[in-house]
Amino acid sequence: MKGSRCLHQLKSLRLLSHAGRRLPAAAGDSGALFRLHSSSLLGGSQCPQREVLRHFHSSPACTKSQPARFVQEEDKTRDKSLVAHDDLFEQVAKETKTKATFNKVIDVYTKRDIRRRGHVEFIYAALKKMPEFGVEKDLTVYNKLLDVFPKEVFVPQNFIQRMFNHYPRQQECGVQLLEQMESYGIMPNIETKVLLVQIFGEKTHPMRKYQRIMYWFPRFMHANPFPIPKQLPEDPVDLARFSLTRMANDWDAKVTVYQLPCTDITDSGAEVTLPHIVGIQSPSQMEALAKHNPCRPVFVEGPFPLWMRKTCVYYYVLRADPAPPEEKIEEPYDPERCLMYPLQLDLDLDRDLGDDESFDVEDLDEGPVFAMCMTSQGDQATLNQWISGLQQSNPILGQIPTLFRLGAGPRELQGVGDTDSTSGTWFPSHAHKEEADPGEDAEAVVEEEPRRSQGVKQ
Amino acid sequence: MSLPRITHLPSGRLLSTILHHQLLLPSIIPLTVPKRAVIQGEYRRPGQPKKTKFAWQKINFNFSKGLEAIKKHFTLLKKEFTDRWVGPEGKPIVEHMLEQNRVVWEFRGPESLREWTVSSDREIGGHSEAYLKLGRNNNTCFLYGTLSSTPPRDGETRYSGYCTMRSKQPLASFDRKKHHDWSSFNTLQLRVRGDGRPWMINVSAETYFSHQKDDIYCYFLYTRGGPYWQDVKIPFSKFFLTHRGRVQDDQHPVWLDKVNTIGFTLGDKADGPFQLEIDFIGVCKDYAHTEEFAYEAYKRNPEV
Repeated sequence: MKGSRCLHQLKSLRLLSHAGRRLPAAAGDSGALFRLHSSSLLGGSQCPQREVLRHFHSSPACTKSQPARFVQEEDKTRDKSLVAHDDLFEQVAKETKTKATFNKVIDVYTKRDIRRRGHVEFIYAALKKMPEFGVEKDLTVYNKLLDVFPKEVFVPQNFIQRMFNHYPRQQECGVQLLEQMESYGIMPNIETKVLLVQIFGEKTHPMRKYQRIMYWFPRFMHANPFPIPKQLPEDPVDLARFSLTRMANDWDAKVTVYQLPCTDITDSGAEVTLPHIVGIQSPSQMEALAKHNPCRPVFVEGPFPLWMRKTCVYYYVLRADPAPPEEKIEEPYDPERCLMYPLQLDLDLDRDLGDDESFDVEDLDEGPVFAMCMTSQGDQATLNQWISGLQQSNPILGQIPTLFRLGAGPRELQGVGDTDSTSGTWFPSHAHKEEADPGEDAEAVVEEEPRRSQGVKQ
Repeated sequence: MSLPRITHLPSGRLLSTILHHQLLLPSIIPLTVPKRAVIQGEYRRPGQPKKTKFAWQKINFNFSKGLEAIKKHFTLLKKEFTDRWVGPEGKPIVEHMLEQNRVVWEFRGPESLREWTVSSDREIGGHSEAYLKLGRNNNTCFLYGTLSSTPPRDGETRYSGYCTMRSKQPLASFDRKKHHDWSSFNTLQLRVRGDGRPWMINVSAETYFSHQKDDIYCYFLYTRGGPYWQDVKIPFSKFFLTHRGRVQDDQHPVWLDKVNTIGFTLGDKADGPFQLEIDFIGVCKDYAHTEEFAYEAYKRNPEV
């Protein structure tokens, strides 16, 4: 691994340099070792009132005499072999991977070596391991990781250093840390800014990256007109309720839970899992369904995907084909529906081309949608239950033939066309009453809505 | 901001600098960055050989194709000449001056799909798929596929998982570039039906310098999902400038007089199937929208 190779190089060169080689202080060099040498020459000329923090800038001769402090590691041995920084994480990986263990690894690293040798590689390894520990969306962990950088060492002191990309590897590492924060959508806070100023100084690449994040994130944070909460409900029924109200786009739409998920053990001992069935319908849809011509069938189509951040749920739709033009009845507006303003104006005004605000596109009429539902198991029996539940409030469903056009399942959809129905079956609705399985709704579960499916058997 | 596309990490050259230091060079040695040329041709996947074809080898000397091409180009040329008698851009001048809405793309038949190019990260070795077909009743276009964000194993790509649909550059007779002139409009309007995924609309305008070739103006298209159509209206003042997927520091509004292509791209790091149905794409003039540009151009060297 590159990290181990670099570390090996550093260790070997440290042995070489301890033989008495002194390198000139060159700005813009990289690597923990040479920074130490260069700053040791600068350290002598520093003002005496610097804080204790800078004591590691003293010359290597002094530090050699100090005993190295080693924090108790998990294996309690002084590791002299080639160690990639991933190994620290792998040692911890044997236990549970949580935020606490991640923080512990960082603490072990920071306390192990006052000079923080190989901190760049350590930070890269930590960034890669974050998703495994589940802390990739945690700002405090990023701040703690940023804290691993030694402070005030990489701050450019004069204009030449500012011009020439001072400590480019560390700056690139800082930028990558911020970029990972950005890609997970985490907004940095004032602590990040203070840390960046202490570590890299102002007018450096990580600081510029931070400024860009702080410029663009607030602008796009609320750009979504259909916002999704960061924490979606875990319960499938709640999730179904939330997503159905989101899709329905109607405040008057009512969500009905036809069946709660439960596991049932039948007489033969086999476990039967009953899926949840949650449906939604609005009063205007009920009206439209009531006016539907019983000669023409309605279709149950699905499953269609709905994505909310990273979760995908599937929904089914009860719809009908658009009525042919001869059957369309233009109902006059009821003037008492709205007393504020007239809904229909019979004025003989012409609109000029400059005032025409409508697009010259024919309106797509795909037919009305009567209801939607969500269920975890999309087979015909479950959807039958939904239809029978719908029949409680829409008795006309008893006379309308229902066609099932179910897709291939929760996979890449082929787009259900008019002519090809993958598993279209003719299922007349009057057979619903016989088909409804009495064993499925024998649970005594208290719900807020009355159990629709129980009333089917008449 | 980095859209989840390819980012090329400059590989660390720590070893070379260590070796340099051993030579006791007093001058400052900047870190060598791999040559990332600003002007690049087609993307060449790492590992693939460089195909150097000479210019004359690219010409296709097929007789029937040549005849078809002649017919097509001369028809277009004739149309160009006769259109001038009708009015600018083939429309009567009254319409050209006063029109408030223009439907630019309407998916009403299979030939409308030929104006669009669909691509995904399969070109760089990823595993996403994207397909385009006509939707139900041949009235809409249906873009669907699967996203997969496993990056290709070529050693330099870190993020992956995107797909895009881009309109082809409009061409006049003899393959000359033609541009969309939307200078009298200020809003993009489209009717879509998505599945809840956030898409991004990319408008690419004609540029002068070759460095600006990958300049794209972007904005988000948030779909609600569900069986209902969604009317989306995005003013052109909201589009921000990006170059190769990175949002730029100095922003300016998109110049609408020479728009080349429009595209839709999806890269929301959620693996799985996706679909997007588009009914039409049009531009309109919204008199109520007086904003010129939504983002301030800030200073080049701002204070912290």
